[in-house]
Amino acid sequence: MSRRITDVLGDVVMPLVCGGTIHVGAPLSVAEVRRLEQELPHAATEIDVIDDARASIISEIAVDPPPVIFGADELSLAAAVHNLLFLVHPRAAEGWRKASTKSQVLAAASELASGGPPSDRREVLAFHSLLHNLFAITRTDVTVTWWTGSAVFRGRTPPNRLTAWPTMRRVRQDHTTAGFGQLFGALENLPVLARLLSRSPLTHLLATSPSAPPLAWEDAVIVLRDADMARVVCSAALAPSDPKAKVALPARYGAAFEDMLERGPDPGDARAVAAFLVHLNALLALAEAAAGDRSSAVLDAVLASERVAQRPRGLVTWLALPQALASAAPLLSMPPGIAEDSALAAVWGRHRRQVAKAVGDAVIDALAERLRATLGDAAHRDHPRL
Amino acid sequence: MTVRRERARAAAKVYPRFMLDHVALGQARFMTPGIAADPRGVALGRFALLVFPALDGLVSWLRLAAAETSIDDLVPAMTIHSARTPLKSRAILLQIAATSSYAVDRASRLARLAGGATYTGSGKHFVKYRDDRSPYGYDATSATAVPEGFDLVAHDEEVSQSYARDQEISLANLLLRLSLGRVPASSPQATGEGRQHLLIAARRGLAGGVIRYLWRNRVTAEVGLARPTSRSAFQDSDHELCIARVRDLPERMRELFLATPGIDVFAPVAANVAVEVGYRHVIDLSACTSVFPEDRTFLFRGDRGAGEPVLTLKGPLELSAIEHVTDIDLGITVDAVAAGAPQPGTLPLAVSAPDPLGVRARLEPSSAAPRNIKATLIPLERAEWLKKLVFFLPEHSVRGHRIAVTDRGIVVVGDAGIDLIPIGEHLTEHAPGLLIPIGMEIAPRVMPEVLAHALGHDAGLVTIMPRDGSPFQLKDTALLPLERSVLARVTVKETQSVSFESEPTAAPSVVNDPVGRFALWGFPSGPKRKALPPAPESEPAPES
Repeated sequence: MSRRITDVLGDVVMPLVCGGTIHVGAPLSVAEVRRLEQELPHAATEIDVIDDARASIISEIAVDPPPVIFGADELSLAAAVHNLLFLVHPRAAEGWRKASTKSQVLAAASELASGGPPSDRREVLAFHSLLHNLFAITRTDVTVTWWTGSAVFRGRTPPNRLTAWPTMRRVRQDHTTAGFGQLFGALENLPVLARLLSRSPLTHLLATSPSAPPLAWEDAVIVLRDADMARVVCSAALAPSDPKAKVALPARYGAAFEDMLERGPDPGDARAVAAFLVHLNALLALAEAAAGDRSSAVLDAVLASERVAQRPRGLVTWLALPQALASAAPLLSMPPGIAEDSALAAVWGRHRRQVAKAVGDAVIDALAERLRATLGDAAHRDHPRL
Repeated sequence: MTVRRERARAAAKVYPRFMLDHVALGQARFMTPGIAADPRGVALGRFALLVFPALDGLVSWLRLAAAETSIDDLVPAMTIHSARTPLKSRAILLQIAATSSYAVDRASRLARLAGGATYTGSGKHFVKYRDDRSPYGYDATSATAVPEGFDLVAHDEEVSQSYARDQEISLANLLLRLSLGRVPASSPQATGEGRQHLLIAARRGLAGGVIRYLWRNRVTAEVGLARPTSRSAFQDSDHELCIARVRDLPERMRELFLATPGIDVFAPVAANVAVEVGYRHVIDLSACTSVFPEDRTFLFRGDRGAGEPVLTLKGPLELSAIEHVTDIDLGITVDAVAAGAPQPGTLPLAVSAPDPLGVRARLEPSSAAPRNIKATLIPLERAEWLKKLVFFLPEHSVRGHRIAVTDRGIVVVGDAGIDLIPIGEHLTEHAPGLLIPIGMEIAPRVMPEVLAHALGHDAGLVTIMPRDGSPFQLKDTALLPLERSVLARVTVKETQSVSFESEPTAAPSVVNDPVGRFALWGFPSGPKRKALPPAPESEPAPES
């Protein structure tokens, strides 16, 4: 029985955007999605509700939100998410007897998620408004134990025959919640997930899940070139109050920047990312400007020498970037305006000394050398606009 | 013939046929256990295995890696083993976490430079890591078990080599055993030039001389004693070292210390690691500081002929400022202190009884021009005047004045002057915090410090000597800003705030609908992985 567009919008797209229950059924093939695209004009009522919710989400990010209309691209992305969720469907797990079956569903999801990174601000915001809940999707699993056995129901309600007479049959129900890592974190899903998130770089930048695929700055640099979106990323990056959590996202950005330098990126993109990471350093200094002459509590906590082994990857790169840029690209090493504020300049200098003492000159010199090789002549241009 | 067949069978057991296949772009399934495609499509396991034929290859790799990046990131998951092959040859296995294919790319590049090979895998099977011939890596065409008695198999294009791990090599021990190399004399590192901080380790007998020498030359330093731990009970464990951490040591002193026997000069490379000046460790130690335990300090010595190559000191260095360690001359003896009798020519230690010649300090009119008018003492009955005056005071006066209400009157203090409050008795500051009425001076004319001492005046106190009555004091903290004191409590009604934020959306949850046994029936198959790409559509031949 073929599905109707209203079913897909109600069961998958609307809960994905507005929250609620996503109903995962049989996977959607590419041909089926193309057929559903033709039916989109006949589901104006559902699409209006979805677009209103997306506009509300975008209004939290942008001052002048662009209009978004649910179209074929959005339907393909939602279908890709649905197919990825089908891979952890209990019936699907039982049915992988043929080796190629799973790869067929993966291939369909991969094709639906393809299309390349967004080309303009409207697309970035439109795709983010669709996928902003991707990392918040959960599934409740129930383990039912009775006097002669047990059974696990993943994302399903146990039948009444198993839960009846709970006292006599000694029935116990344990509820556990599966998060992003359990739902999407399988190794073979990573390429598809990376392709999906390359279409919504803002969602990828705001992702705090440790199971999120590595970030590719080449796809995400478009976000930094828009003031509204860059501001949202800055705000989210330094929002947590716990020092370890506060540096988690910036460290992820630093690790992605390390990987970017290995790929020989466009110097303009590398400069924009470097300036953004330096800006995050300045925001950290600004947050501690009221702390007086004391050394930074956040840097003390995350750079403590006894916790060297627990430092997240990319943390050192993020924190050491201003010093490395001071020799590789002096214009980018300090955001404009810091020198005018004496209190902020003092905190900035204190942070830099604290970082230099903790990470050592060798690390900073090595980073500066790599930056010099990447930025080249671009290092002496003006400060990029974020 | 039978023997040959037996050998061939044995060889087949230890060298299983394990052909490698090139990984294709987008390949999702792999035959090798523990291998998956990373987001770039490169076949990658949880670990990268670097195999070196000898220890010098491993050291070369560590040296190259330390120069390019921080090894500290790799240390938590790093293991080094000496291993043997079925033919009893030796190899060194270095296993690191494969956090990303970029990190393994670098490790592989450096391993090639150091004469090693790179494999990737998650458990016992490791396949060759990607190279120019197969940019997405390699995968096995079939899987076989690891031969008995061996821990892992590294599969190359030509051969599969089994390894049995013999013993683990500690990275810390390796770093401590490596010899230091001499730095060329022309290099600044040879003399410690340009180093802001240096550590000087001197024998206990030379400590006094070194400390006096540093103190006389006004070198900022901290000193302490440390006893190196000894690995052998037969070694001399009594020699104690005087450790001095000096800052900006002048060149002439540095050269003198370097040339003096019994004194070693070290350049710190981390909080608890230092290398002797004139020498350099093969591996950049600043890139692997996590290897060295925090509770010990390591001093690497270049001259291995003179005792331990590495001086290991217990605990982090706890040093005292040199100004508290220099020799002092008390001028008294213990017996004199015990007897309470003063030595000739020195001050007595005990405080003597009050002098019968002492006089009381009093206020007298002064002809000198008043200055430093800082406060006013307003009688309590004039409080209403002050309240009315507050409405006319400019903003900076309301903000800059401090006030305290006491039983002797209302004290108003203004650090920038009190001219705008023309009521009460104005007070001038005779000494910091010591206030006397305007136009008066204190007799006898003693130093302000002496007067403060006699009045019991100290920092944090405000002492006022009014024209009539005895002096009184109040704590400086009792003076509150005027703007906080004058406002009476204002009753403010609470109102409801209106939020313009959009309501947060609930997190979506998944419910798996029943899909039946044939959910994938008729699901179209994907493109064939190894099929050739479709031929380009040929253009129609031009009509002749």
